[in-house]
Amino acid sequence: MRISLNWLKEFVDIDQTPAEVAELLTMAGLEVEGLERRAQDFSDVIVARILDIKPHPRADRLSICQLDAGREEASVVCGAPNISKGDLVPLALPGTALPNGMVIKESRIRGEISYGMLLAEDEMGLTDDHTGIMTLPDDLRPGQSLSEAMDLEDSILEVSLSPNRIDCASIVGIAREIGALTKKKVSMLEIHTEESENLIEDLADVTILDSQGCPRYTAGLVENVKIGPSPFWMRYRLHVSGVRSINNVVDITNYVLMELGQPLHAFDYHRLAQGRIVVKRAENNQIFTTLDEQPRYLDDQMLVICDGREPVALAGIMGGLNSEITENTTTVLIESAYFDPTMIRRSSKELSLTTEASYRFERGIDIEGVDRALKRSLMLISELAGGDIAKGIIDCYPRPWSPPKITLRTDKANKILGTSISTEQMADHLSSLNMAVRIVKQDQMEVSPPSFRVDITREADLIEEVARLFGYNNIPVTLPAIRPAEEHIPEFALRDRIKSMLVGIGFSEIITYSFISPKSADLIGAGQRSDLRSFVKLLNPLSQDQSVMRTSLIHGLLSTVRLNSLRGQNDIRVFEWGKVYIKGDGELPQEKQVLAALITGLGSGQEWYQEPRETDFFDIKGVAENTLEALGIEKAEYKRNSPKEGLDPDEYARIFYAGAEIGAIGKVSKDVLEGYGVEKKAYILELYIETLLSLVVWAKRFTPLAKFPSIRRDISIIVSQSVESAMIVGIVKKMGNGLVESVDIFDVYEGKQIAPQEKALALRVSYRSKERTLTDDEVNKIHEGIIEEIGRLTGGRLREGH
Amino acid sequence: MKEKLLELKTKALKELESVTERSDIERLRRRYLGRKGLLTLLLKRLPELPKEERPPIGRLVNQVKEELTGRFQAVTDSLTTNDVKEVSAFDVTLPGRRTPLGHLHPITQITEEICNVFLKLGFRVVQGPEVELDYYNFEALNMPKNHPARDMQDTFYISDNVVLRTHTSPIQIRIMESKSPPVGIVAPGKVYRPDSDISHTPMFHQVEGLLVDKGVSFGDLKGTLTTFVHQMFGPDVDLRFRPSFFPFTEPSAEVDIRCVVCQGKGCRVCSYSGWLEILGSGMVDPEVFKVVGYDPESISGFAFGMGVERIAMLKFGLDDIRIFFENDIRFLRQF
Repeated sequence: MRISLNWLKEFVDIDQTPAEVAELLTMAGLEVEGLERRAQDFSDVIVARILDIKPHPRADRLSICQLDAGREEASVVCGAPNISKGDLVPLALPGTALPNGMVIKESRIRGEISYGMLLAEDEMGLTDDHTGIMTLPDDLRPGQSLSEAMDLEDSILEVSLSPNRIDCASIVGIAREIGALTKKKVSMLEIHTEESENLIEDLADVTILDSQGCPRYTAGLVENVKIGPSPFWMRYRLHVSGVRSINNVVDITNYVLMELGQPLHAFDYHRLAQGRIVVKRAENNQIFTTLDEQPRYLDDQMLVICDGREPVALAGIMGGLNSEITENTTTVLIESAYFDPTMIRRSSKELSLTTEASYRFERGIDIEGVDRALKRSLMLISELAGGDIAKGIIDCYPRPWSPPKITLRTDKANKILGTSISTEQMADHLSSLNMAVRIVKQDQMEVSPPSFRVDITREADLIEEVARLFGYNNIPVTLPAIRPAEEHIPEFALRDRIKSMLVGIGFSEIITYSFISPKSADLIGAGQRSDLRSFVKLLNPLSQDQSVMRTSLIHGLLSTVRLNSLRGQNDIRVFEWGKVYIKGDGELPQEKQVLAALITGLGSGQEWYQEPRETDFFDIKGVAENTLEALGIEKAEYKRNSPKEGLDPDEYARIFYAGAEIGAIGKVSKDVLEGYGVEKKAYILELYIETLLSLVVWAKRFTPLAKFPSIRRDISIIVSQSVESAMIVGIVKKMGNGLVESVDIFDVYEGKQIAPQEKALALRVSYRSKERTLTDDEVNKIHEGIIEEIGRLTGGRLREGH
Repeated sequence: MKEKLLELKTKALKELESVTERSDIERLRRRYLGRKGLLTLLLKRLPELPKEERPPIGRLVNQVKEELTGRFQAVTDSLTTNDVKEVSAFDVTLPGRRTPLGHLHPITQITEEICNVFLKLGFRVVQGPEVELDYYNFEALNMPKNHPARDMQDTFYISDNVVLRTHTSPIQIRIMESKSPPVGIVAPGKVYRPDSDISHTPMFHQVEGLLVDKGVSFGDLKGTLTTFVHQMFGPDVDLRFRPSFFPFTEPSAEVDIRCVVCQGKGCRVCSYSGWLEILGSGMVDPEVFKVVGYDPESISGFAFGMGVERIAMLKFGLDDIRIFFENDIRFLRQF
């Protein structure tokens, strides 16, 4: 909402500077987002009289004007067609800076000296009119500063209105607020109209068929009007309010809208069949062409204004092309009405059509001010467009408004606010907002808000008004009673451990968008029935690439790799802690917390102390093991039991713990990398947080340290490459009679010294008893049994020389 | 001859003792042990001796030569280890063996910082769903369908009844539905609105807060949020509470802090107002209490919500919000 300070001053005295007014309003909840100065820097634009006009000797379209500029005469080259000898016009002397940044200079135009420039209204930022040089009223004196002579110096406040304060969507509304805040009286315009002998009832008729949709409809009529342009002052005010000037009658309806907040509509009376107005529901599939020449498809929940035959306006939103004011219009019927907010809002949404009128109606206008606005417009029409106002107005208002009565308890208000404001003080604040206050008990009052304060219906609303006028910053600062937080939340503890673990080993956290492209499922190679395809779809996505909620974090990881590699960063360790969203049978999808990490590029970089090494599977496995250890999980199993979407069918493992699948690791498959335009090998870890959460044991128990020495034995064994090391470790543990404390694989060899399908594993077994010192004989016996069992179960044999 | 030899040795050792510079040792070495040194000169006079005296003296000369050579070497070595300027066989300036560290995302860091302030004040951290029922996101928060307040937030829809939450406020309803007062929570999380430009991303983060108990007042709201601002932005930062509107609080207040960039003089960041809006707050509207079955006559409460990105941008001096979600590792490494 753009508000001219000069316009405001017609309603309330303002002693403050524009900046102070802005601050005052902002601190009362009417946030002023911008303050624009108008005509404040052009004291160099002066009033000048055209003494003579001569054609330019070398340019057909230009003329040379001889001007009386007060103290001096000046000669200016001008190209405008609308000037004539004797006119008063604005002259910008050399050195004047125009609002568009242009600086006027004395110049030569096709050989003729031009001492300044004659200006059009738009060049001064006054209106958007550029049809010719601005012509000034004849009572001005040449040489006068234009802005002084015409009182042009103004400030425009840009006020951002919250949806509840529709009463402030007008000059009068803001003036009322300033009045309340500065304890100044707000003057109401005097409205008086001279009416003709013709009774409006003889000329027009209004019928409301839907009184719920239209609780009040008033109409007035003016005959013999002359449609033409509006005077400068009105065009200026509309312009700074952001409204385009059309013609005097239409401008007046808009002017009153801005001034009083009441939307009006002007019909060409002679185009209304039988001079009738009927307010009723539209029919389903009815087509109606609005003023903007758009066909609109209506339904029976929408309200239309009809004449004796057909719709002529979309109630509360926009008029129809069939009844609009044209330059030939001679009689106008003005509508001023109140329409049901919900109905207007629904229609406006349905039709995707929002106007200054619908914006106000859907928030609730002042039902008691409807007739006043009508009279104000009739008065202006007779003043500015001539014409005779028909006698009386039509006012259909079957159930007049009666003021609500709301109880306000002083004690309740002070408790909510933490204040000790007296009943009288509260009553005083509320009265200044035009509320009728009656103190019924010592600490209780009965308050009736004015009809324009549609936002005030409850005690809480009154408490807010008291707080606002008392001043938020005058309310004492206190602290609530502090109580210790109740419980520890395992998910956060888990998250913090995992994140600090990962950050400690070089992973940076990323946050990617939760919405992704549905193509991601194909890119990751999801099966037709995979969860990865159970997308939650957005009905109104910003783009196809962000049209479904992610079902996996892999998309974000690989997109991050791609972005970084395009920028020359190829050695990447990142992770994301986020949700995936799986559509299920319920109304809401399943939101699952997942951790995903990725490594690509060098596993260890080139340094003076080490050779560079490409990342491989065991880097990501190490990350998984570290992370799980941080959670106290040391016995996870890594199984290659069923291929994992997106991962290489050879280099992947599903992670199991206590019988549950808790995650997966693996190399991103070649196809997936290609799909994402990633060149280097990448390895991924996923952990399913909800599953993990149920398995993590938070309480830690001490295990007594071993008292007896351990005995270590190494085994080097050759087995088929298809035998997994975990199987051998398993055999060692099983055969160890409970005396195997640990098994470490310290070497793996594949190569020339053994057969091509074989590998040699070197294991270090540590034997220890909790009760006694073991003897060599005892250990040797077990050890031999282990080797025998490995041979029996895997076909493995001892590697010679080891 | 023998006496001369021993005298020379004694003299040489004595002179050697007082030497501190390597160049001096070298000079001494040349004087005694060099090709034209004193020892060589003595040796040249060996033929002057009677034949039978020559072998023992010869042995003695070699013995002295060996001893002196050894001493010279020892002194040279001791000077070498003390003299860093001259010899740097060990370079302590080489980078250490290390595993590079990772970094938490700046949004995570700021979220934690925010939550920690409230944790210390006794609030508890909770979470809620991001794909949310229209009921929790709007209706229960006093924004029925066809209510103009819904225009305040553009919304991503999943269906007529399901949306991506536009704010973290639905958690207020969920927590009050599940628990009787007192309630003191903060709830960080992702929220979504269809907007994308230099100051908007379609996904961003908020932290919601709610305190409901007997006798909670607007003064308590002011105290709590003043404490928060001072912990977050420094104890000297000026703040103000400005009336505003949210459908689910009344009275409602925006909290502004004195612009941290220009200290209130007015700059581009604060749109020349000298103030920066950093959070919205208010007393819980009685309608909301009714929805969750709380009695607004016996309890009261306040709620607040803030944008994490906005606070992060102010604290880190960023001007384009989109960089948070690009995840350029050069960006991430700075935090």
